[in-house]
Amino acid sequence: MDVRALADEDLIPLMARGDARAFEAVYERHSGAAYSLAYRMVGTRSVAEDVTQEAFLNLWRSGAHYDRVRGSVRTWILGIVHHRAIDALRRASVHSRRRSDDDTAAERLEAPDRVEEDVARSDEAAIVRNAMDILPADQLKVIELAYFGGFTHVEIAEMLEAPVGTVKGRMRLGLKKMREVLAQGAVG
Amino acid sequence: MTDHERWKDAAGGYVLNALTDDERTAYEAHLATCPECRAEVSDLRFAADALPLSPPPVVPPPALKARIMAEVEREAALLASAAKPDRAAAPAEPARRRRRFAGSAAALPFPRASIAALACAMLLLGVVLGGVLLGGGSDARTIPFQSSLPQAAAQLEVSDDGATLVAKGLPVPPEGKTYMVWLARPGQAPEPTSALFTPNRDGSATAGVAGDLKGVETVLVNTEPVGGSTTPTSAPILTAELT
Repeated sequence: MDVRALADEDLIPLMARGDARAFEAVYERHSGAAYSLAYRMVGTRSVAEDVTQEAFLNLWRSGAHYDRVRGSVRTWILGIVHHRAIDALRRASVHSRRRSDDDTAAERLEAPDRVEEDVARSDEAAIVRNAMDILPADQLKVIELAYFGGFTHVEIAEMLEAPVGTVKGRMRLGLKKMREVLAQGAVG
Repeated sequence: MTDHERWKDAAGGYVLNALTDDERTAYEAHLATCPECRAEVSDLRFAADALPLSPPPVVPPPALKARIMAEVEREAALLASAAKPDRAAAPAEPARRRRRFAGSAAALPFPRASIAALACAMLLLGVVLGGVLLGGGSDARTIPFQSSLPQAAAQLEVSDDGATLVAKGLPVPPEGKTYMVWLARPGQAPEPTSALFTPNRDGSATAGVAGDLKGVETVLVNTEPVGGSTTPTSAPILTAELT
């Protein structure tokens, strides 16, 4: 049987029983998105590689924990990557450095390195990016600082010298607007 | 101000995991009683779940896959050998000779007794991939390791979901060697775990430690031949006292 023909949801139980070929098929499908997310968050290739490695080995060792009711395999995998990347940022004390240099933090998160952008952007990523691009800059900024930077709304409020309530409101309104646009493009 | 008014803007921060711990706990209590906020959280989570798809695509290097697959293949071989239904011949005492595990799932050149001993040890440890630990449901805690290397530091994070070793400053193990985690109970030989790991280039490492920690006195880390051993062959580098 060629496991590459199987759906993600059917590969995970095989992987959980120790099938390395099932894991490899999952890796082939999702490592691009995983590495891109890690790189976007940690900003260097070496740390992004470490984060991706930790996340996929964690996935390999915890496949039995996947619950399809809680979302797609991809959402699950990218959630693990996200957690690992936040851990890496904290381990490296990047947070403390960035807190002392708020402008740099905001700029870095808003203007990710464009290395290898000649690689074709997937349609799906383009739809999501477009949904983000239509947001007012102040809403996009707080969402990116929270999700990609791992900052709390209190930290973001300090960075931007804005009231906490304002930051929360921008997060909510921005996501709401994104949701409306994405619902039309059926991504998620 | 009603409870709902107080929390009406929190859904965005909640799905972005940007609330403080106290706020998150309080908000979840509110969610349990507020269908309107639950509906909004569900709505906004749809958008938050799309965020990880937005970064510009960057191609992961082939060497990364090679590193990950080498580890996966090794662990798959270990599990395959442990899963063989040949436990009847398991000796009462641990196997005395060190055994290497081949890097492929092909038939392994072990004597049956060694395979059975390992299988038995792994079953005793409750080692299933991603096994759940600490059936007693104790609270999360962090236990520091004593390190024989001045530059290395590590701790064991134990929670209901499992135990994780987090280390920094670990040197790359010698050629052909890997770090391995052992569990020691009073009066017994250290038991092997499936936690074998090599540090990242910056010396950091994270390793899930599967197994029942009940009764474990000491968690040890040493270096072993790639593939692991059934009994320790070198002195521990990291030692954590659990009791």
